[in-house]
Amino acid sequence: MNLNLLFKELQRNALSFTLWTLVISVLVSLTMSFFPTFLQNQSKVMGMMTVIPKEALQFKGISNFSDMLSPLGFYSVNNIIYMMVLGSIFSVVIASNIILKEEYNKTAEYLMVRPITRGEIFMSKLAVVIFFIFLLNLVTALIGYSTIKLVHSGPFNSKSFVVLSAYTFLLNTLFGAAGLFISTLVKRPKPITTLGIGMVLFFYFIYTLSKITESATQIGYLSPFKFVRLDAGSPEYKLEPWHLLYFLGISIILLTISYRIYRRKDIYT
Amino acid sequence: MNQSVIDISDLSKYYGKNRGIERVNLVVNEGEIFGFIGPNGAGKSTTIRILLNLIFPTRGTAKIMGMDVIKQSKQIKQLVGYIPSDANAYASMKVQEFLSYCLRFHKAKEDIPRMNDLASRFELDLKRKVSELSMGNRKKVSIIQSLLHRPKLLILDEPTTGLDPLMQSRFFELLTSENKQGMTVFFSSHILNEVQMLCKQVAIIKEGKIIQQENIDTLRKKQLKKVHIVFENQSAAESFTIRGLEQILNRMDRQLSFMFSGNINQLVQHLSGMEISNLIIEEPSLEEIFMHFYQ
Repeated sequence: MNLNLLFKELQRNALSFTLWTLVISVLVSLTMSFFPTFLQNQSKVMGMMTVIPKEALQFKGISNFSDMLSPLGFYSVNNIIYMMVLGSIFSVVIASNIILKEEYNKTAEYLMVRPITRGEIFMSKLAVVIFFIFLLNLVTALIGYSTIKLVHSGPFNSKSFVVLSAYTFLLNTLFGAAGLFISTLVKRPKPITTLGIGMVLFFYFIYTLSKITESATQIGYLSPFKFVRLDAGSPEYKLEPWHLLYFLGISIILLTISYRIYRRKDIYT
Repeated sequence: MNQSVIDISDLSKYYGKNRGIERVNLVVNEGEIFGFIGPNGAGKSTTIRILLNLIFPTRGTAKIMGMDVIKQSKQIKQLVGYIPSDANAYASMKVQEFLSYCLRFHKAKEDIPRMNDLASRFELDLKRKVSELSMGNRKKVSIIQSLLHRPKLLILDEPTTGLDPLMQSRFFELLTSENKQGMTVFFSSHILNEVQMLCKQVAIIKEGKIIQQENIDTLRKKQLKKVHIVFENQSAAESFTIRGLEQILNRMDRQLSFMFSGNINQLVQHLSGMEISNLIIEEPSLEEIFMHFYQ
């Protein structure tokens, strides 16, 4: 790892990180601020929900309406959109650009002629990606936690909250690894932001499709979203070991392949 | 005997089925200013990019100061400076910030006096942001970053693009001065005048292959002469031919100009039996030699 490159990358990506964190935090806080109103009007909302098709609710991540009556249930339903989908988009965007932008911005010829190995470049940039994904998750989780505490004075399972946050981090990290992987496959340098965002939305679409269509249940296993437990209100809620293995395994495999490709890749600007 | 600084052996690079370079062999000795000339697409940048480990060769080896360009790339880059033909510094940085950033990779102390000296030589404001600079000023930044860490070998890929004539002249002065202090220069260009002005050794690359590697004076003297003849009558000019006539440059009325690679005595002897009113035999310019090789 090269500290000179690491600090410069932290500096270079700080603004983008701040904006994404701000947007997600505001969305999470705003949504949670509706929770007391939601509880007060639960009979009216319940009436509304009966009109909405079951599939449409499932598309939104609501499998059981009563889940939403707990602060954690309400948080997890909304969390999947804000923190999981948006967080994954942030992860894939930062990861797919952090190496590739040196090529399409034509700065690679200044960086790669320095006494630094490709392995050091890769590891330094990977450290920045993981740091920002972790920080985004930490800040948004802390804001989510504080907002829940603000809007709900009753008992609240902190352990489940931590597990849900861990799932979010693992999912975001996997998409970060996928972003890095795709960027190392690009031969002619150009931004692949749209491709990255498309990939996250595609997997989210597959996941929701598998939930609303019985015949498509199996297809859901192609999507990393399928391996996130969202029933945070459930008493048996925990981080499944095989889910942990899935996220870590896929992420490590993608990063190892990316590292190997990058070390032997022809760099064009 | 001079030690080789660059030693390229049987180096080839293919892009799929397309040829980049083919079986390139090249030796650049310590202390030389070595010209590497060829038109666009001949393989100059491909060769340089392999030397800098930006791309990988299909086969063959390349060494810099005895070190393999792939396996010992990091050690090599500690000793090498590079001016790319077309690269951007980080637009959001100020010039001084960018230069310091580059220098820190070399674990070198920030040499402010040298940075200021180079900047004043090229009339470059270190406090300006890179994004605000013109193409010429960006090239100046590129020149300074390549020299700040006092490299032993400087690799230049079309280094004068964007520089005005005054700055070009200052750049050449700087190169000559650094060369006198021991720095070897590998100068890739298609602008032959600047190669002619600076380089002692030159290699010509054509369609991915080195077709000539020679001392620049020997290249001029040994091989080609430029001959102008004004004949007394037009028919003699039209029918003139001789062994060693390489390329007719101009044939008009009674005048004939051509490149000649044969024996000069035989030419004079041949002409002695003809009616001519003028004869000029001169050294061709590097450009003319270059064009000759590319015909």
